[in-house]
Amino acid sequence: MKSAPFTYHAPRTLGEALVLKRELGDQARVLAGGQSLMPLMHLRLATPAHLIDINRIDELNYIRTADGHLVIGALTRQMEAMSSVVVAEKSPLLKETIGLVGHAQIRHRGTIAGSVAHADPSAEIPATLLAMGGELVARSASDERLVGAADFFLGPFTTALSEDEIITEVRVPVWPEGTGSAFLELSRIYHGFPVVGVAALVHLSDGRIDRAAVALCGMSGTAIRAPGAEQVLVGSEPTVDLVAEAGKAAVAGFDPPGDVHGSGEYRRKVGRAYVRRTLQAAFDRAGGGR
Amino acid sequence: MSDQVHVGVRVNARVYQAEVDARMALVDFLRDHLGLTGTNMGCEQGVCGACTVLVDGISVLSCLMLAVQADGAEVMTVEGLALDGGLHPLQEAFWEKQGLQCGFCTPGMLLRGYEILVENPDPTATEVREKIAGNLCRCTGYQFIIESILEAASRMRAEATSG
Amino acid sequence: MTAPAIREHPTETKWVGKSIRRVEDPKFLRGRGGYIANRALPGMLHAALVRSPYAHARIKRIDVEAARALPGVVAVVTGRDAAELCDPLPDFGPDPSKHTWRLLANDKVRYVGEGVAAVVAENRYVAEDACSLIEIDYEELPPIVDPEGALESGSPLVHDALGSNIAYERAFRFGEVAGVFDSADVVVEDRLRWHRSGGQPLEPVGAIASYDPATGMMTIWENSLTFTSYIFMLANTLKIPSNKLDVIPVPAGGSFGSKLWAVKPAAIAGMLSKLIGRPVQYMEDRADALSNNDHDGSDRIYYVQLAATRDGRITGLKLRTIDDYGAYIQFGVGHHGNALAQVTGPYRIEAVEYTVQAVLTNKCQQGAYRGFGSEVNNWMVERMVDLLARELGMDRREIRRKNFIQPDQFPYFIPTGNVYDSGDYEAVLDKALAMADWDHWQREKVRLREEEGRYIGIGLCSCQERSVFSATEFWFWFDEPAAPVTSMPESVTLSVDALGNITATLYSCAFWGNSPETMVAQLVAEEFDVDPYSVNVVYAGTNQGLPATGPGGSRFTVMIAGAIEGASTKIKKKAFEIAAHLLEASADDLEWHDGGIQVKGSPDARKALGEVAIMAHLFKHSLPAEIESGLEASQVFDHPYTTMPSDDRSSLGVFYPFMGHACHVAVVEVDPETGMVDFLKYVAVHDCGTLVNPRSLEGHMVGGIAQGIGTALLEEFVYDENGDFQSGNFLNYLIPTSMDVPEVDCGHHVTPSPYTPYGIKGGGEGGRMMAPAVIPAAIEDALEPFGARIRELPATPERVLAAIEAAQG
Repeated sequence: MKSAPFTYHAPRTLGEALVLKRELGDQARVLAGGQSLMPLMHLRLATPAHLIDINRIDELNYIRTADGHLVIGALTRQMEAMSSVVVAEKSPLLKETIGLVGHAQIRHRGTIAGSVAHADPSAEIPATLLAMGGELVARSASDERLVGAADFFLGPFTTALSEDEIITEVRVPVWPEGTGSAFLELSRIYHGFPVVGVAALVHLSDGRIDRAAVALCGMSGTAIRAPGAEQVLVGSEPTVDLVAEAGKAAVAGFDPPGDVHGSGEYRRKVGRAYVRRTLQAAFDRAGGGR
Repeated sequence: MSDQVHVGVRVNARVYQAEVDARMALVDFLRDHLGLTGTNMGCEQGVCGACTVLVDGISVLSCLMLAVQADGAEVMTVEGLALDGGLHPLQEAFWEKQGLQCGFCTPGMLLRGYEILVENPDPTATEVREKIAGNLCRCTGYQFIIESILEAASRMRAEATSG
Repeated sequence: MTAPAIREHPTETKWVGKSIRRVEDPKFLRGRGGYIANRALPGMLHAALVRSPYAHARIKRIDVEAARALPGVVAVVTGRDAAELCDPLPDFGPDPSKHTWRLLANDKVRYVGEGVAAVVAENRYVAEDACSLIEIDYEELPPIVDPEGALESGSPLVHDALGSNIAYERAFRFGEVAGVFDSADVVVEDRLRWHRSGGQPLEPVGAIASYDPATGMMTIWENSLTFTSYIFMLANTLKIPSNKLDVIPVPAGGSFGSKLWAVKPAAIAGMLSKLIGRPVQYMEDRADALSNNDHDGSDRIYYVQLAATRDGRITGLKLRTIDDYGAYIQFGVGHHGNALAQVTGPYRIEAVEYTVQAVLTNKCQQGAYRGFGSEVNNWMVERMVDLLARELGMDRREIRRKNFIQPDQFPYFIPTGNVYDSGDYEAVLDKALAMADWDHWQREKVRLREEEGRYIGIGLCSCQERSVFSATEFWFWFDEPAAPVTSMPESVTLSVDALGNITATLYSCAFWGNSPETMVAQLVAEEFDVDPYSVNVVYAGTNQGLPATGPGGSRFTVMIAGAIEGASTKIKKKAFEIAAHLLEASADDLEWHDGGIQVKGSPDARKALGEVAIMAHLFKHSLPAEIESGLEASQVFDHPYTTMPSDDRSSLGVFYPFMGHACHVAVVEVDPETGMVDFLKYVAVHDCGTLVNPRSLEGHMVGGIAQGIGTALLEEFVYDENGDFQSGNFLNYLIPTSMDVPEVDCGHHVTPSPYTPYGIKGGGEGGRMMAPAVIPAAIEDALEPFGARIRELPATPERVLAAIEAAQG
């Protein structure tokens, strides 16, 4: 399966890339890692007339911290983020999540921002970004804006990016000391696309949960928060019954679309079990325990 | 209609310069343009791993990379494992342990094995099993492949200490 | 024909039985294996196909003008063009004139993925560009997707000419079925469902055809070549004289049956090359292979009953099976021949009723997949034996022991008429149980449930693995078969050159990833005391070839062993005559020893094979007058043990005589909240008779088990209720990774065949013939507290949950 023809651009600076994106609009797709886009192009499900390859833009490759955020440039490879001590320290959840994405060869080329921009409803990184309250920096030739993850994912493979914008940075707020987090997923084969994945973060104060975030992938047209679960958690003491209740509440409002890997009903069952298990793991790591 | 680009790349210690279609995948460039047909294509979707090569020492799926993206890079394919006409210890080990049946996944497995052993010359069987999860094999059920990589590790450690 | 003579096997062998490194491997290790995609001819063009997006539709209009006009495109061929250029494809189905199979869909498409048009261009990229420019108007027709729905008259017809979607239907009865069921103490019954999956080797099918208009010769290289005596049918399809076709085999990157008879790609390439007058390569890619490989595995529903005495002796098996063949039925119901070869498993069941209903639907057709329909039978029988054990409160090991055919009963004829040549089923069971430490895991099962709330299960299966099919299983379905063929040989030519170096020529695409070259090298080494790595194994095409059936039905090693034995005997006879002349002795006073011929008792009076060979090649006048120059021999080895079915088909005769056997024990953990299954232990003990290269066979065991795990848990070609194909990529069709399969503890037992060289039996399919039987047994054992019954494969997590719910509700 070969991709349809396209005109290829390889800008060396961000400025060049943004000018191209403005000129070409939705005629152009951005090529970063290519691990999601190229398979679609090979099936001719994506046939962009132009490809803007950003892999030569070294200025987009960075990992740092800035005002309470972990800040990751758009070209940072998943494998680099996974092995970064900064990421391990500032967002162990992100590190854990990336480790579940595909396999080594995929992570060697795939980028964090690319996974976010692709917005596959089954993908793990968007769910973690959502749970953590992350943001994207979206830049056009004339503008720059910060888009919260909650506002970013609009539908399957559909984001709030305008046709002249490129994600240049992923920003993840660092959660407070003592936060426990976990990402668990059920996938039919090892590190295949998850049927359901859960990202959970919890923080305790005086033995009570003062902050909790739960997000799921594979449960909806996008990665999605589970406010029902979060409401059950905040203010309570972490117990076995609580996490079970949170699991039940998490899926109460969902009507997930089904596919060959699992019907909607199956995803709800798994979602419920996995929210419970992920929260339990998060609590174990927070020292919240039973 | 088709966009031509320049690719200058070192593959297995030889430098090539070529003008190719922008959309040409790296795997097709290696196979059809350079005649290095050792790298196989199993799915063109980034799932099977048969097309694995090393680009600047890192394993990638050559079906998902454009040839032009390898411009300026160093690529190693299976043909580069044993440039002197002999067999690399990995190839010897796969032969010894029958780590192949049809051979189609083998070039990708060899290069992934190569990378695994560069990262860690003394992996456990469990670690090797996990690390080859991105390379499908339909013939062997993986067991003898794992044994082969461990055997290669052992031979290479012995060579390193004796040499 | 009666049974062959019972053979005496050598007590010691030098090469047979040794796990030598494979002679095939160096080229593959270097990336120079010579796969079809790596070959190029000067001026070669590339083909791509447009495929139907609809399950069932009339083709109203095809406009190829834009495609033809694209620079780089050389030709575009529609189904209508193809129907003029070529005749239908070879079809061994029940009624080929009414379920006609063509290279490209002509008037209507019958499944998603059916080829509709072919483009030939300078390269595959341009060919696919042109494909997307072809405009096709379809008139959608209602599809028939449900196999039981296909039984109903009034269901949409896949082939209008057939008038029905039931391509074949027949009930066979062997033994006193009615009596056995009437008098049974216990009858257990169930409805079982096995969904289709397929071999999906990493290398798809591909062919390069080169038609020479000057000579009229068509040469086709392909990674599939079997049943070479039937290749004239491909010539007929291509409308060329049968002696102007040469099909040359190249190594296949895996097959598992899917390259058993891949005539369509060869025909497509041939058609295009003949049209254009230049070589054309047609490589299926993964999308082609998933939707359109013409070798989907069995897709069956069973309504089955087992009759038994109250102390657990199984007396009868009665079943009706509906098999969904998809849109075409190229092999007829040969898949059920594979089942009937071992329909009663390893058990002394005396009465069998087997009703098969082969239906057509709007899906890709079936072909061969490792087991070719017998693995499904294994699963069905073992599901029922477990059900019976549960019903009677009997231990699953004991019920099997009680019913096993005993070692002193071989050769054992099962009710269908086929023979099991040898076996020792209890020894295999005992070994597997010991290796698995059955009692330990029974205790662990209890302990882990009580202490940790975990659900562990242990599964057990004892099943047959038949090998070496005869021709009769393709036609004994009919009382008056159109072509009751009886030839199914394998051939070899051994050539000893002037320096005594040996070349072995094979005549089929023997290499699928099995180890045919190593088998040949070891067998030839055994005969001639040469270094196996010194034997050169080459392949010849059909035009200069001898009849060869190729791999499939685990037959290759046994058959090539027979061929090598025959050819070696001929060579040695001539060598003895020459040596006798040179040594001035009588041939009767000579013996073969260590690579040469010597006078018995006088080792100094000796001629090495090389010395004989050079004389044979160069010194005609030094030889006895009647001896021709040269030293080579061919052997066409026909199937050594085939008997004809009776006229009334109360016996199908012997058609799959060399019967291996295996016992698998699997320990799994099931998560009852999600239905996910993990492996804790896996033991496999196989008895495939004498092993030529034990390591190689073990590799096939483990690989087959991995595929069996795929079949049992992961792999399914899914068609929705509209016939839309849902499994068109590897994200949906799930192939097990290294982390999805356990480490397998392999054990071997050897009961040699009395009828084959060295006692070899085939064994390449065995792993996949067992794993699907043992895994649902283990899952069911884990879910015993829920009373769940696993009736359907693959046992996806969702189906496992449904089984729990069904048991509870």
